[in-house]
Amino acid sequence: MSPTRISLQEDLDTLQATLLEEGELCARAIRGAIQAVRERDPELADDVIAFDDEVDARYLSIENGIESLLARQTPVATDLRLVLAILHINLSLERMADLCVNIAKLTKLVYMVPPDTKLIEAFDEMGARGEEMLRLALDAFVRRDVEAAEQLTELDELIDRANRRAVHHLLALGSNRELREWGLRMIVVSRCLERVGDNAVDIGEQVAYLVTGEFREFTDASTELRDD
Amino acid sequence: MSVQADPGYSLSSERLRRRKVVNRIMEALATLAALLAVAVLVIVVASVLKKGIGAINVDFFTKTTSTFSFGPSQSGIANAIVGSLVIVFFAILMALPVGVLAAIYLNEFASPRMRAPLQLALDVLNGIPAIVVGIFVYVLLVLGSGQSALKASFALAILMLPLFARSTQEVLALVPNALREGSLALGAPRWRTTLSIVLPQAVGGIITGATLATARVAGETAPLLFTSSLVGNEVNWNPSHPLMSMPYFIFAASEQADPGLQEQAWATALVLIAFVLVASTIARYFGLRSRRRRGGKR
Amino acid sequence: MDYPSTEMTEDTEEQSGGDGLAKAIDPTRLGPAAPSSAPASAPTVFKIDALTAYYGKSAAVRDVSFDVPGNQVTAIIGPSGCGKSTFIRCLNRMNDVVPNFHTDGAIYFHGIDIQGKDVDPVNVRRQIGMVFQRPNPFPKSIHDNITYGLKMLGMKDDLEGRVERALKRAALWEEVKDRLKDSALALSGGQQQRLCIARAIAIEPEVILLDEPASALDPISTASIEDLMHELKSDYTIVIVTHNMQQAARVADMTAFFSLSEVVDGSRSGVLVEYDRTDKIFTTPGDKRTEDYVTGRFG
Repeated sequence: MSPTRISLQEDLDTLQATLLEEGELCARAIRGAIQAVRERDPELADDVIAFDDEVDARYLSIENGIESLLARQTPVATDLRLVLAILHINLSLERMADLCVNIAKLTKLVYMVPPDTKLIEAFDEMGARGEEMLRLALDAFVRRDVEAAEQLTELDELIDRANRRAVHHLLALGSNRELREWGLRMIVVSRCLERVGDNAVDIGEQVAYLVTGEFREFTDASTELRDD
Repeated sequence: MSVQADPGYSLSSERLRRRKVVNRIMEALATLAALLAVAVLVIVVASVLKKGIGAINVDFFTKTTSTFSFGPSQSGIANAIVGSLVIVFFAILMALPVGVLAAIYLNEFASPRMRAPLQLALDVLNGIPAIVVGIFVYVLLVLGSGQSALKASFALAILMLPLFARSTQEVLALVPNALREGSLALGAPRWRTTLSIVLPQAVGGIITGATLATARVAGETAPLLFTSSLVGNEVNWNPSHPLMSMPYFIFAASEQADPGLQEQAWATALVLIAFVLVASTIARYFGLRSRRRRGGKR
Repeated sequence: MDYPSTEMTEDTEEQSGGDGLAKAIDPTRLGPAAPSSAPASAPTVFKIDALTAYYGKSAAVRDVSFDVPGNQVTAIIGPSGCGKSTFIRCLNRMNDVVPNFHTDGAIYFHGIDIQGKDVDPVNVRRQIGMVFQRPNPFPKSIHDNITYGLKMLGMKDDLEGRVERALKRAALWEEVKDRLKDSALALSGGQQQRLCIARAIAIEPEVILLDEPASALDPISTASIEDLMHELKSDYTIVIVTHNMQQAARVADMTAFFSLSEVVDGSRSGVLVEYDRTDKIFTTPGDKRTEDYVTGRFG
């Protein structure tokens, strides 16, 4: 018996393809934002901010597409879970892109201050880790691989530790006012990078929901704030 | 695991027994009525059989009639059989096309305003007594120009026409409208829809109806009295002459005092009954065959 | 836009983790994820202008006006008794066979009013085919069902090829190719309906009208008929009446919602309430009556 509901399948494929496109754009945004921080390049930061429009366009298109698909095709079972997962992942991606915009804006505020190389190294690592997590999450989504999704928590732990080290480092800076302002901004940048990781974990949780039908958080949210 | 009846819950009723009795009485009455109808037929056939079987032999079918019998080996009804065949054949030839076409017009093409009066006309025609038709044809065609088998056929055709039309109509009405719509939707004009879709479906039924109508009318005597009664005793196939026919022979022979002739009259009646039986069987066969062809998964 | 620059792109490909991400990207697609919407330049095939259809004195539909675009599926939905079937049968003059039927208003097909005095309804029906609610194959063989129309219209060249193409187009060929001489009545309901569709498209009409084509079928057959319409619309204009609004939602590009009017002269007639793109009708309908109907709160 040949497969039916061609329309529904086409629509689902289009949504998924657009989502992956959006993911790719997010990855580039992360890389661009880190580069702007590293090179203290306000023009690059502006580019990153402008680039967010590309992500928003796809975000909107997916939102509208989901609304239309739910109304017209009344998907059930796996199809329904796929649509809901795409809805949530879409949101996570949009948040990630917004975080990159925040990083870029913060860079523009303090680009004239000479950077601390250790910190930049840490950011490089966090950014690379974040981008890696994003790719892994989307890949797990495409392959519907729950185990791969669960491994994201370990990577997230690494970002969290790098974040805590960066904060410690920043707190140890001198009392120069300019340096302190720079430090404050950079703490926020670090926090943004950490949240990129969290969003990637959220994507992983949606993958688990899609496959198992159950939604659960990968880590217990009430884990104590650590301070090593 | 046994199932326990729920106490206090009942599905039986007091009326049940009375209903059962009434059912059985009604069944018995209906069966009795059916048997009665069959009994009548059996009685008729049995008496005809008893009274006429003596005259049935090969000569009966090969020798011609004579006004007084010379004994069983001297005469028969060969010319009556031939005459009946000729008369009925031409009657069908005249009545069938007109009847079928009238039915097609009535069912497929007539506007509602035309339909009612036409239907009424056919119904009235159906009810006209055979003798009235006979007198009518006599006055119209025979007076002044003489009798002939063709004029007898004409009279019988008038009797057959409404029967052909009615049975064709019934069968056309049975063709589902969905088929006509399907054809029309393909851009077929009405005549082609009727010809290619409706008629092929109805053909079996038309034949059935025609056969039954023929069986009924072939035994009519009254029209023959006026149109084909001055007949000789030779076998004659010429339709422009008056021909001997089986119903007329029964009429004429049964009035004779000669018991041999009377026996032959009964025998002729037997032949007519046999003809009706054969015709009905053929009709049923065609009816079943066309229903099977139209079948498949319904 | 230059950013991200080409060197980024190369990095992307090096760092791309997992096959899934790399092969899914088509940079040119903005991925609409919206239904095939009526492009602004879709030609109008039917222009219905103030159509009112009467059986005797009472109007079955009143004052209907809208345009039907070409190569799209247009659905007509609404509660029973609102004249949907009457309306669609006007589009190919099938109501001509009904006594006391007459209309006001016009139906323009390529600019010609198909109800005009010198228009031959037979010609109309050759361009505008129809498939009915209950499958009505002729009591002939599968092959002869298709050739009936072809022979009548003189399309006898490559008869067998035309039969095969029609059956393939109707997604029936594989199931019947070895038994074309069998009676059409031996097919299942869904197959019979596809045969009726094949019969209709064999004579190459421009439009196919479907009057509740799947209401007598089981869900699997219904789904295959719906997929078929999705395929056929690239070659034909399709108008479908359905009482199953979910079906309209799945299948149609444009949707017309009919409902019953207020009582006028002691009776109600069907009126067109709203006509718009399907996704709009089912997400943000403009008229409250439409909203009530599609949400199932219609009283």
